Amino acid sequence: MVSRAAAAIRTRPRREREAEVLVWPDLVFIEFISALIFSIALMVLSAMVNAPLLNRADPDTTPNPSKAPWYFLNLQELLLHMEPAWAGVIVPTIALVLLAAIPYWDRDTEGQGVWFGTKFAGRLTVFGFTAATLITSLLIIWDGSLHVVWTENVIRGLGLNSDFTWPGGLDWFRNLRGFDTGIPWDSLGFTIGGFTMFEDWRAIPLGIPGTTTDPWLLNLNFPSFLSQQIIPVATMVGLPVLFVLFCKGLGWIHSRRDIALLIFSAFIGVYLTTTIVGTAFRGQGQDLKPPWDIVVLEE
Amino acid sequence: MANLERAPRKSFNDLIYDLIFKNYVWQSIFRTGYPNTPRNQMLAVATNVFLHLHPTRIHRTHVKITHTYCLGGLSFFMFLGLTVTGVLLMFYYVPSIERAYQDIQELEANVRFGQLLRNMHRWMAHAMIILVLLHMMRVFYTGAYKPPREFNWVVGVVLFILTLLLSFTGYLLPWDQLAFWAITVGTTMVGSAPVLGDESKFLLLGGFSVGPNALIRFYTLHVIGLPLVISIFMAVHFWRVRRDGGLARPL
Ligand code: HEM
Repeated sequence: MVSRAAAAIRTRPRREREAEVLVWPDLVFIEFISALIFSIALMVLSAMVNAPLLNRADPDTTPNPSKAPWYFLNLQELLLHMEPAWAGVIVPTIALVLLAAIPYWDRDTEGQGVWFGTKFAGRLTVFGFTAATLITSLLIIWDGSLHVVWTENVIRGLGLNSDFTWPGGLDWFRNLRGFDTGIPWDSLGFTIGGFTMFEDWRAIPLGIPGTTTDPWLLNLNFPSFLSQQIIPVATMVGLPVLFVLFCKGLGWIHSRRDIALLIFSAFIGVYLTTTIVGTAFRGQGQDLKPPWDIVVLEE
Repeated sequence: MANLERAPRKSFNDLIYDLIFKNYVWQSIFRTGYPNTPRNQMLAVATNVFLHLHPTRIHRTHVKITHTYCLGGLSFFMFLGLTVTGVLLMFYYVPSIERAYQDIQELEANVRFGQLLRNMHRWMAHAMIILVLLHMMRVFYTGAYKPPREFNWVVGVVLFILTLLLSFTGYLLPWDQLAFWAITVGTTMVGSAPVLGDESKFLLLGGFSVGPNALIRFYTLHVIGLPLVISIFMAVHFWRVRRDGGLARPL
C-alpha cells in the first residue's frame, strides 16, 4: 500500500530490462498487422457500401426528420428534453470539462496501468453502464409519452374500458412538458395579507424593464422554466449523485477512482443510448418510432 | 563492419541477401543492416524518423494486444489514411455551391475508383470517431490518465473534439440534402449558446444560414486548418506518451 501523498509523487517506473521486448519486431509487427486488417476491412466495406449522396442541397425543401451527423445526435436527442442552450452548448461543454478534469481529481496512482484496477471496478462498470442505459431509455420513453399510449392500449385491449383515455388529472405526468401544460398554474396564486403572490406564474417579473432584452431575464415563465430547465438539470445532477450514494451503500466505493469508474461508465451508457435513440428511433417530427417505420419526407 | 558478420561460405540465399541489403544504395538509405540482430533492431527503430515515435524497447505487457487493442495507433492510422484519400479527393472537388455537388457526382461516375475513394474517406472518418472513443475508454479503464499522465489525457480530450470538428466540417462538402440540413441543424445548436451564440454561428457560417460562405469556410477548415491543428496536438500527444515514461503500468 502506498499512501496517497507518496503515490502522488511523480516517479518514472524503474526499468526492468528483463521484462522488456524490442519494438522491432514485436510491436512493429503488431502495428503492421492491425493496420493491414483495418485497411482490408475498410476496402471491403467501401467496395460493398456506398457513401450516401442525396439530391442537391435545397434550402427550400426541408427533410423531415432533419438530423445532425450521427455523432451529434446525442445532443440533438437532449434538445428534445430541455432548453436548447442546455442541450446544445452548456451540457456538452460541462461534460467535456469534467472529462478533462478527471485526472486532476482522481490522482491516486494505485491501480494504474491495469484493466479495472480496483476491487469492485467490474461491478461498478457493469452497474453504472446498465443502470444508466435503462434509466435513460425509461426517461426517453416517458418524455415521448409512450407510457400513455401503452397504458391506453393495454386497458382497452384487456376490455376493461374500451374508450379509456389517460385521465386528465394525470396530465402533468404525460411527459416533461406536462409539468408546464398539465398543471393549473393559474389557480396556484396565493395571498399573504391581502397581497397576491404569483398571480401570473408565467410572467414573474425579474428584471427592470429596459435593462435587458432577454425575455428570460425580464419575466420568468416559471412553468416552462421548471419543465425545460429545473427538472432536466436536476435529473442530470441528481442521478449521478444517487448512483454514487447507492454504490457507497453497497460498499463498492473505496476511492475516487471507484467514483470515476461508476460515473464514467454511466456517462458511456447515456452517450450510447442517446446516440442510438437519436439515430435509429426518431422519425418525422422527432417522434419515437422503431427503425423500420422511419421514412424521411421532404417538405 | 558488415564484413565481420559475413559467413565463410555463402549460400544462394546469403548472396541474394547481401545483394539487397549490403549494397551501397540500400545502406545510404537505411544505415543499419537488415534488423535481424538485437543491435540492428534497436538501430532500425532509433534511426528511422517514423519508427522513432517509439522507444527501442518497451515493457512486455504493453505489446499484449489486450492492453491497448492498438486503438490509439489505429486512430492515428485512420488519420493518415484520411489524409491520403483526402488529398486525392481534392483533385476532383471545387468548393463552390455551383460545382461541389456536381463534382461529387462526376467523381462517382467518371473517375476510375472515384466511388471507392469517396467511400474509403467516408468510412474511415466514421471509423476514426469510433476508434478514438474506444481508445479513450481503454485509457480510462486501464487507469492510464493518472499522474504523471494528466496532461496527456487533456490533450486527448482536445484530440477528440478536433476529430469531431474535422468530421463535421467534412460533412457539408458534398452539398447534398443530407449535408446541408445536418449542418443547418448542427449550427443551429451552436446558435443557442447563452453567450455569443449568434456571433459564433455567424462566424462559423460566414452569414446567417448555410450558403456559399459556409461552404468555403468549412472546406478551408477541413482541408488545412483543422488537420494542421490536430497534427500539432498529435505530435504533443505522442511525445508526451514517451516523456511520461511510456505507457502506464502498475508502480
Ligand atoms: C486523434 C485521436 C488520438 C490519437 C491518434 C491517439 C493516439 C495515441 C497513441 C498511439 C497512444 C499510445 C498507446 C495506445 O495506442 O493506446 C496513446 C496513448 C494515450 N492516449 Fe491517445 N490518442 C487519441 C485520442 C485520445 C483521447 C480522446 C484520450 C483521452 C481523452 C487520449 C488519452 C491518451 C492517454 C492518457 C495515453 C497514455 C496511455 C497509457 O499510458 O497507457 N488519447 N494515444
